[in-house]
Amino acid sequence: MNGLLDPLPWLILLPLAWASLAFLLGPGRGGRLALAGLAGQLALALWLARRLIEGGPVSHAVGGWGAPLGIDLYADGLSAVMLLLTQAVALPLAFYARAYFAQGAGQFWPLAGFLLAAMNALFLAADLFNLYVTLELLGLAAVGLVALGGGAEPSRAALRYLVVSLAASGAYLLGVALIYGSYGTVAIAPLTPLIAAQAPLAVGLAAGLMLLGLVAKSALFPFHFWLPPAHGGAPAPVSALLSALVVKAAFYLILRLWLGPFAPLTADWGWLPALAGAGAILWGSWQALRTPRLKQLVAWSTVAQLGYLFLIFPLFGLKEPALQAGTLQAVAHGLAKAAMFAAAGILLKATGRDAVDGLAGVAGRLPLTLFAFGLAGVTLMGLPPSAGFLAKWLLIDAALEQGLWPLVAIVLAGGLLAAAYVFRVLRQAFLLAPEAQQFHPVPRRLEWAAFGLAAASVLLGLRGVELMALLGIGVAP
Amino acid sequence: MSAGLLYALAGVLLFALGLGGIVLLRHALRRILAFNVMGSGAFLVLVGLAQRDGGADPVPQAMVLTGIVVAVAATALALALLRRLPEDRP
Amino acid sequence: MNLLLDGLLVLALLWSAWRALASPDLARAVVLFIVFGLLMALAWARLNAPDIALAEAAIGAGLTGALLLDALGRLQPGTGAPAPESPAQPPANRAGRRWTGSVALVAGLLAAALAYALFQLPAPTVRLPEQVAANMAASGVDHPVTAVLLNFRGYDTLLEVAVLLIALIGLLTLGPAAGRPAAPGPANPLLKALARLLVPLMILSAGYLLWAGAHRPGGAFQAGALLAAAAVLLHLAQLLPAWASPGRLLRLGLAGGFLIFLGVAAALLAEGALLTYPPAQAGGLILLIEAGLTVSLGLILAGLFLLFAGAEERP
Repeated sequence: MNGLLDPLPWLILLPLAWASLAFLLGPGRGGRLALAGLAGQLALALWLARRLIEGGPVSHAVGGWGAPLGIDLYADGLSAVMLLLTQAVALPLAFYARAYFAQGAGQFWPLAGFLLAAMNALFLAADLFNLYVTLELLGLAAVGLVALGGGAEPSRAALRYLVVSLAASGAYLLGVALIYGSYGTVAIAPLTPLIAAQAPLAVGLAAGLMLLGLVAKSALFPFHFWLPPAHGGAPAPVSALLSALVVKAAFYLILRLWLGPFAPLTADWGWLPALAGAGAILWGSWQALRTPRLKQLVAWSTVAQLGYLFLIFPLFGLKEPALQAGTLQAVAHGLAKAAMFAAAGILLKATGRDAVDGLAGVAGRLPLTLFAFGLAGVTLMGLPPSAGFLAKWLLIDAALEQGLWPLVAIVLAGGLLAAAYVFRVLRQAFLLAPEAQQFHPVPRRLEWAAFGLAAASVLLGLRGVELMALLGIGVAP
Repeated sequence: MSAGLLYALAGVLLFALGLGGIVLLRHALRRILAFNVMGSGAFLVLVGLAQRDGGADPVPQAMVLTGIVVAVAATALALALLRRLPEDRP
Repeated sequence: MNLLLDGLLVLALLWSAWRALASPDLARAVVLFIVFGLLMALAWARLNAPDIALAEAAIGAGLTGALLLDALGRLQPGTGAPAPESPAQPPANRAGRRWTGSVALVAGLLAAALAYALFQLPAPTVRLPEQVAANMAASGVDHPVTAVLLNFRGYDTLLEVAVLLIALIGLLTLGPAAGRPAAPGPANPLLKALARLLVPLMILSAGYLLWAGAHRPGGAFQAGALLAAAAVLLHLAQLLPAWASPGRLLRLGLAGGFLIFLGVAAALLAEGALLTYPPAQAGGLILLIEAGLTVSLGLILAGLFLLFAGAEERP
């Protein structure tokens, strides 16, 4: 087969290429290149999805050696859904960022390009050590983006994020070392039957270390402390990328390992992530209700919404519906949170300050932006017909089927709390503006990008069936 | 006990020391040192454990070369961030 | 006898790491950390890993040490003076002590469980060293570590170079350093003479390491690290100014090695998959990639130190 006609490697090569070319062009340059690259990536992801629907999971043996000597790339329905989400969120955000950074993007484009390359490489990786490298690439690119905000506060947030991220990768790496020592390979496909056949204590410890490291990277409560300052303090396009996509990468990997090679070890532990997830929903929503700053509110809402992703872990008795609920929540939240941060960035630019109290009067000035914020809120609350509704419906259904009533209660309570913090913003926005209030003009393109993302998060609910069909490809019963 | 296993055990201890350091130490520069100690521990486990029957294994050796380069990149970025913080609270 | 030597080395490693983290004096902590790095290089040599020993000495101890010392110079007004605040101070209250105690307990338990698990480990099922040996003839090089690094797991290395590049871009984002710069002072004439003598030798050795990597320990990473060390030495002798923001040519040098690697990887898709070298051309292509990487890695590693290291010297 001709490798040139395989979408898998190109999904990694293309962002690497435009990121390094953007670096060559110099600070602030490369936005147009990024748009072209991202359009190509979206086409590649769609092409990959079509291939999967026609022929099932695909793989690509880098170097022609094949695992375990070489490194394989692998894509099934789960990878394809995450890849589609990534490109679909990144493309409108690139339009947004070009307008947002009118005064100079600095190193935004190279950093964003390497970030997206790392995400795509991670979704396609089938080798535990290769995953470590992609995690480090992702982490350093994300930290660089947070530091783009300039000043002491973002630097402090970036440093804290970096230290957590490095400690987490360190734990993951020790796990990889133990697994190589136990079996002599780090390729996931050959490892899966080996672990099922015999798992010495070292492998159990390795699984624990790796999953714990990934949990810290995904900011699951109580490891969420680094997220609100990092996501809340970065420039809006960066916050959107990080909150919508980057934390999901760690979640994806947890899911992949939990259901794949570590399945024999993790079967009885599903309650633990669910407990943390419940804590995240309650604590994150409570903080979102209290914080005076708008972007902090959106960031705390991410902490809360990530909690839902981890509620599915005790439900894997019925694998497919639980997986569908988790993935759909990841997709819905990705689109909605990108829209919400994009809208928050516009409101910040218009009012000149990052405060919920300062929003009075924006409803009249920026109706489209506020509408986008509200639509994204509909998804987060889980109202029909949004994708968030579908995700929470599937979650409640799976929980009822397995008799886990407390999960149902948490999902419902979380929806009400989300409504409370979304309406906190909307209510302020509809108040009359004080006399002294000044509004700065905002480019229209910013508003349309935010609106497009928000509309997608709601309308996706109508195309849930197709998405679920794609997700089902390659899932073992 | 083989030399490989001995170094793997040392690696485990260094990892635990570094991890404890990252959690407990307050000064950011020390946390950066602790991260490097932790990483070195993981590297020793990777190579030492793979070579516990004697003989060299080029695969984990190549992985550690990759890891060392990643570690210096991360350290440089962390130190650059540290420099940008105001002096009173490093 | 050998085990005794290894045992002593392990004890020295643990002691230096402990002191590097626990010493109340920050400057001493950094020096002990550099000692730790050098001891690690010895440990790698004992583990039959000369490639890592070289890289650890040059990068782990050398470059990281230089970065740490530079950062220390900015944090502290005088060299050798204790840090303004005492960072390793004992926690003031009972809750703090309890927290320290419980973290130490958890770390200790983790270490004990891991150590216990290591003794229980059966022999691994998959034997990669044998597979590497069996495929060496088709890899294009004679040195197994280079074969893994550039051929069997070359994709890891491609992404790893991207990691280095991203760290450098992150540094560029941060702009000139705040804080007190190290006092410039007149350059030490001895250092200047030493640099003039050593740097040509270092560049020659880098060339040798690059060429040797195909057959024996060495290769692009070690060669690049040596080039970076030469640049740092030149800077310390005030023969090379710090970089403010890289111009187009320098950017090309920084990213060039990565772009060559990326281009070769993509072109080889025509052979069936990413980075599939045809055995006949493998040696030449790997040398091309390594040559590009040596220059770029040297520049990037040097850049990690030189970017803004002496921003105060320029107006």
